[in-house]
Amino acid sequence: MKNLLQFIMQHSCLLLFILLEVLAFLLISTNQSYSRSTILTSSNQLIADVNATGDDIVSYFRLRKDNEQLSEQISRLQEQVQSLENALEPLKENADTTAYKYAHLNYQVIPAKVIDLSTDQEHNYLTLNKGKRDSIEVGMGVVCSQGVVGVVSRVNERFALVVPLIHTGINQSARIKKNGQIGFTSWQGHDYRHINLAEIARHIMVEEGDSVITSGLTSTFPEGIMIGVVEKARLDEGDSYYNIRMRLTTDFRKLHYVQVLRNTAKNEIDELMVDE
Amino acid sequence: MNNTLKHIIRLIVLLLLQGLLINNLHFLGVFHPYIYILCLLFLPSSLPRWVELLIGAAVGLVMDAICSTAGVHMAACVAVSYFRPLMISRLVQDVNRIGSQICSSTLGDWQFTTLSGIMIILHHTLVMLLEAWSVAHLGWLIMSILLSSLMTFVLVFLYDRTQR
Repeated sequence: MKNLLQFIMQHSCLLLFILLEVLAFLLISTNQSYSRSTILTSSNQLIADVNATGDDIVSYFRLRKDNEQLSEQISRLQEQVQSLENALEPLKENADTTAYKYAHLNYQVIPAKVIDLSTDQEHNYLTLNKGKRDSIEVGMGVVCSQGVVGVVSRVNERFALVVPLIHTGINQSARIKKNGQIGFTSWQGHDYRHINLAEIARHIMVEEGDSVITSGLTSTFPEGIMIGVVEKARLDEGDSYYNIRMRLTTDFRKLHYVQVLRNTAKNEIDELMVDE
Repeated sequence: MNNTLKHIIRLIVLLLLQGLLINNLHFLGVFHPYIYILCLLFLPSSLPRWVELLIGAAVGLVMDAICSTAGVHMAACVAVSYFRPLMISRLVQDVNRIGSQICSSTLGDWQFTTLSGIMIILHHTLVMLLEAWSVAHLGWLIMSILLSSLMTFVLVFLYDRTQR
């Protein structure tokens, strides 16, 4: 017993070192999945507050650019409204448009601002300035004017943590617009501009420049939101699936304003699942 | 007392600088300097070693919270805090002679360069390997570690010059 105590006293530093390292590795291994603990992420209240203050200061320097972006978006929307109205005109008289309307009414849009983001890690994340009190919940989809951004993974009262498409642990159901084929996205790391599309079988025609959109199979996103454009589709001999690399339409490094999508019919859909 | 205050203020300034500015700059996607390690490098050598370890763990945890990388920075900082005193006693024959201040004027230019160089590479290697949690892009990873370490080292070197 005396010897043991002596040993511990002699090597107390080494033992403390080992203890702390074991603790650190425990933390790392429990946080490998994308649902990380709230205290140790940037959705931590204190850290988020500091980040929000930093963002407040920086956003003054960005006002000009934001204004340009907003006015650009407005003009694009106006154009869209105009063309849609033109298209609607001949339909008004005879067609039953209610079905079309309902399909689109299921989503409520909550605007939010990105106050912190990373693009250089394998497990990237972004923090939004809206949380539970703005009725944001875990699992909601996040989009921006250019396309899909990611999925909410953590919320507290005032902030939300979003796992973006450029995270090695997230796969999003996706559809090739041209032929309706369904696959899923997967990110390999490092390159925040590109993402892969998996599970597209070899008999399907895929060409450079094909648009890839959300599939609408999950309640997170409605169908038809842009994800990316096919840049390279390789098919090696013996492969049963394509190797598809696409360019993301969302520029994650310039993200500033995003929209959180709240599926108002989600509960009803979930209820059906439970009854089955 | 005055010195303790200086260390604390330097720590807070470095953590804010790292979290708010440097983490948001993207130097070609390869450079990720972690200059907050400077506050661990310059800790007085008169600190008991267990205190230094605990300081290292705490600084690492705060950085983890800022970067959303639970445990990664903690592991790296604890390693730095453990090996730094060992290296100092290796590099300097008579530890009592140098006093508690650690910088190039007390350690000597060559000794300080070796100490900070090795500590920075150790820290950056651990952070980037653990963050990636794979060796899939090994070449890219090694390049990133070396270039980032170099950048941190230059910044530490410049800071050390201002202290003379």
